Order: sequence, then structure tokens, then C-alpha cells
Amino acid sequence: MDISSIAFANSLILGLSIAGIFFVAALGLTIIYGTAGVINMAHGEFIMLGAYTVYALQTFMGVPYFLCIPVAFVVVGAIGFAIEKSLIRYLYNRPLDTLLATWGVSLVLIQGTRLIFGSDPKYVQIPQFLSSNIEVGGLSLGVFRVFIIFMALVLAAGVWLIFYKTDFGIKIRAVTQNREIAASFGINSGQVYSFTFALGAGLAGVAGALFGALNIVLPTMGMGYVVEAFLTVVTGGGALLGSAIASLAIGELQSFFALITNSTFAKFLIFVLIVVFLRFRPQGLISASGKRR
Amino acid sequence: MTHNAYHNKTLQWLFYIAVLAVLGAVPLISNDAFLLNQLAIYGVYGMLAVSISLCWGSGGILNMGQGIAFGLGAYCMAMTMQMQTQADGTIPPFMLNNGLDSLPLLWQPFQNTSTGIFLALFVPTVFYLIFGGIMFTARVSGPFFAIMTLATLSAFATIFVDLQPYTNGVNGISPPSSLKLGQTEIDPYSSGAYWFVFALLAACTVAAKLINQSRFGLIVRALKDDPERVRFLGYNVAIYETLVYTLSGLIAAIAGSCFAVLTQYVSPAQFEVGFSISIVIWVALGGRNSLIWAMFGAFTVQGAQSYVGDQFLSTWILILGFSFILVVRFLPGGLAGLVETLLGRTTKLKMEAEHANLEFSDGKEVLK
Repeated sequence: MDISSIAFANSLILGLSIAGIFFVAALGLTIIYGTAGVINMAHGEFIMLGAYTVYALQTFMGVPYFLCIPVAFVVVGAIGFAIEKSLIRYLYNRPLDTLLATWGVSLVLIQGTRLIFGSDPKYVQIPQFLSSNIEVGGLSLGVFRVFIIFMALVLAAGVWLIFYKTDFGIKIRAVTQNREIAASFGINSGQVYSFTFALGAGLAGVAGALFGALNIVLPTMGMGYVVEAFLTVVTGGGALLGSAIASLAIGELQSFFALITNSTFAKFLIFVLIVVFLRFRPQGLISASGKRR
Repeated sequence: MTHNAYHNKTLQWLFYIAVLAVLGAVPLISNDAFLLNQLAIYGVYGMLAVSISLCWGSGGILNMGQGIAFGLGAYCMAMTMQMQTQADGTIPPFMLNNGLDSLPLLWQPFQNTSTGIFLALFVPTVFYLIFGGIMFTARVSGPFFAIMTLATLSAFATIFVDLQPYTNGVNGISPPSSLKLGQTEIDPYSSGAYWFVFALLAACTVAAKLINQSRFGLIVRALKDDPERVRFLGYNVAIYETLVYTLSGLIAAIAGSCFAVLTQYVSPAQFEVGFSISIVIWVALGGRNSLIWAMFGAFTVQGAQSYVGDQFLSTWILILGFSFILVVRFLPGGLAGLVETLLGRTTKLKMEAEHANLEFSDGKEVLK
């Protein structure tokens, strides 16, 4: 098969865009998983809720798109906070059960959304300039995809600032390393977990605000993201940098495989590669805390 | 020594026999063909529940990708049934539509019925053996293993959709007539088919129960609680985990083959993440530690689902989700756990009464 340099460059750029999407989807999960070790199966549904928040704001209140993004963060963050307070915090020492309970949460969220909004697809409106295409010498990419890559960088920088430049971040890292010792130094570890979970959920809300504009909005849209987001986080090892590298690698490889085979088979190859990779490095690329959970 | 009637082995076996006898007697009461087929399909779900209870309840291995063995078994069986209806030298119509002009190598073994049935059980089992071996020797366990099974399941779903010329993609394979064993044709709507599935269900349940009670089962249950300690006692934990995982895969493969026979249809829906996780939900609601209660879980959830009908389906799923959350949060043992506690309470009262009597007569404590 002949692969021209233009096609190859195009696939590199497409890979970057896929990587951006993976990273945005996995960011909230990375924080929740990296800090509390919680496998949150409802993450995809948090993304879905973010998309519906934007839809509702636009349709019923006419809020402009850029304002919807922070509101989605707050709304989904609040929902995440409520779920943590009422369910997740009782299950921290039962990792398998958290996984199951959050799956139950996801069922309820999907069904609840379906009852409220119906199961017909909804659409999120984006400003005119985001829906155009950039073309440079045979390469083309939607402006919105560039915007997602930009947002991925912004969110990563924001999370990095919170984790490494604020008091709250110091507490999160202390609790991640050793919950008991952190608690004995006066850190309210339960509170830290709650807010971390809310932060992770809020980031999923932002992801939803972006993906809602990229695809149609459906109650089941979260299912498509959750497995891939998980694989990104587990491959990355639960650290922020790990997830960034993992999503970049997965995005580029998937786009490259899609170029030489087809997109479905590319996905299959990625799954197989990840399973093989985790066989030899179960702790992932960069292990957040040195110990395996 | 506990005196909870729930833990009494004789009573357990009596209960198993009673339940299986009731299930086996169904065709004597009703000869409604549609109902029998429906119940036989529930039997298939029951087998899946037993298989999950075996590896999750006993071994602590949460397998969210049981659809792998189920789907592989179902596909192999459907391929066998499809080839039975093909005259010599012809190939299934969907292959012609996808531009194939001769039978692909992948399909060749299924021309022979016994080879096909053998492969329906052999392929998934060997896959589980290899996959489990790879994962467990790397000491992948707990939630990680669950995620890995989920990823592998998604990979299968993707590839079966993608290999359209070989699997007919999303449309799946629907063999035009039912399975023939020798000269006899297995009509999926007959009491014969029901008894066939039921016999397999009973065999799987009893076998799993015997495994649980064996020395092997004891070690498997021990490693659920503390794999490190079992390892320090000199057991090769990976081998035990792989074996119990493979056995559960074999049961799921049997279930998959029966499913293809009963429904004469197989599609990538069998590899759907939602389906595999709903098996876990049945088992969690029924009681992961008890094979028979896990089976009840499957019957109840699936039965209720078809009973409420499409009209209330969304409310039903909402209720299911909530009850699942509540069970995980407050009742990790499921319904079986509830029964265990209740039986324990009554026997405890009885024991206390006896105890009081003994103290009264003897004046000193007697330990049983």
C-alpha cells in the first residue's frame, strides 16, 4: 500500500486530535482514580450529563456556548459531589464494589436522562467560527478539533496548577501517598476525596460540553467513552503525565493503524496492544504512588 | 462450628435437588412451545450466572467480559448450524454478498458437525486458559482484571463487526434451520430442547457446587480473601486463578452454544458490554457466593424484565439500577446473604435456648 506523505501528515494531525479527545475524556478519571483509587464506571455518564447541561442551557435559556462550558463544570461537579457523599465514600476500601456501585449509578443516570429528555438525539450549537475548516497545503482539520486540543492543554495546565501550586493540591497529594499519615497531620481526608471526586466529575462535565458539540447528544453517549478513557488511565498509570503520554500514544497509533488498515481494525489493534502492554507493565507508564492498588 | 442451617451441607444439597427438580418438571406442567423456549433461554442465563458465581463469588475474580466465552461459543455453534444447511460446495449467502467465492479457511472445520460442536467449547476454553494464564501470572487482579476483560470484550465486539465477510458484521448469523444431531433435529420449541438445556444447567450447577466443596475450591476461596497468604503457604495462585477462570469460561461456552441452538441467531450483541455486565448484576442481586441464588438472580431479573414489558421498561431499568446500588452498598451477599442472616438469626435463637437449658442442667458451659 502506498502511503503518501500528505496522507501520513494528515493522519498525524488526526491522531493529535484523537489524543486530545482521549485526554479530555480521561482527565477527570485520572484524578479520581489516581487519588482515591476509585474505578468510576459512571464517568461516561458524567460526560453525558455535561453535554445535556449545555443542551439545556442553550435551549431553555439561550446561554452562549463559551459560558456553558464552566457551567457544565459546576453542575456536573455538584452532581459528582452529591454521589460521592451519598455512596462512594462508604466503599473506598472495597474497590470491586465501587466499580459495581458506580455501574449502578451509570444505569440510573442514563435512564433518568432518558426519562427527562427522551431518547431522541439532541444537538449542541457552537459559534460559527468553530465549525469551519482550516486548510494548509493539502492538510485539513476542523477548527473545533483544534479547539479541543487547545482545551486539553488548558485543562491539563489547570489541573497541574491545582495539584502543584495550591494548598488543596498539597493535601490531595498527601492523601494519595498515605491516607492515614495525611489524616494524622490534620488533613480531612474524607473532605479531600469528596472534592477530588467533584473536581473529576466537573472535568468530565467539561469533556461533555466539548463532545456534545462534536457528536450528537444521546443518553447512551457516555458508554462509548468510558472503556477507552479507562484504558488511557490504566495505561498511563494514574498520573497526569502518564495519561497525557498514553492518550498521545493511543491517538497517534490508532490514527496510523487506521491509515494502513481501517478504523475498526485500528481500534482492535489498540485494544490488543494495551492488553499486551499491561501484561508486562501492570502498573502503567507512570505509577502515581509507587504501590500497586 | 456454626449452626446456621444455611451452612448445612446436607440441607444445601437437598435445596439444590429440590430447585432443580422443580425446574426439570416444567415441561410436564406446560406444553406451550413459546414458553418452553423462553424458559430454556432463561436456563442459558442461569448457566451464565452459575459461571460468574463460580469465578467471582468463589474466586473473587470479577469477570465483566463473560460475553467473550458466551459469544465465541454461540458463534461457533451458529457456524456449525449454518454449514449443516449448506449443500456441498456452496457457501452461506452473506459471504457471496461480501465478495467471497469459496469457503474461507476459518469456516472449513465447521463443515463437520461434531468438530464444530467441539470447537464451540474448545475455542473459548482455550482462549480463557491463555488469556487468564497471561493475566494471572502477571498478577493482574481485582479491578484491573475486570477492566482487562472489559477491554478484551470490546475488542471482540469490534473485530466481529469488522470481519463482515466472515461473520456477517452487525447482522450476525441466522442459520435457516435448527441443529441436527445425527438424524434427530433439535426443535428449539420442544420439551426435548428444554430438557436438554436443563440437563446441562443441572450438570453445570452440580459440577460447580462439587468444585466449590472440593479441596481445590477451598484454596480458590482462600485466595479470594488473601492471595498473598495463599502464595506464602506455597500454592501457585496463578494456576488456581487461571483454572477457576477457565472452568467458568467453559460453562459460559456451553451456555453460548445452547443459546445459538435455541434462538438460531447470533450477532455481535452477544459481545456487548451491557450484556456481560448485566450477568454480573443478576449474580450480585441473587448472591454472588451461592450458585443457586445467583441463578435465581438471573431468572428474577430477566423474568421481571420481560414481564414488565416495553411500556414500563425505562422505569424498570431505573428500579434495577437503584436496587443494584442498594445491594452493593448494604447487602454485598445479595438475596442469599439476606437468607443466610435470617436463617442464622433463627438458629441462633434456638441455640441460645438450648444453651440456657444446658447451663441450667449442668451449671457449666458446654461447647459444641
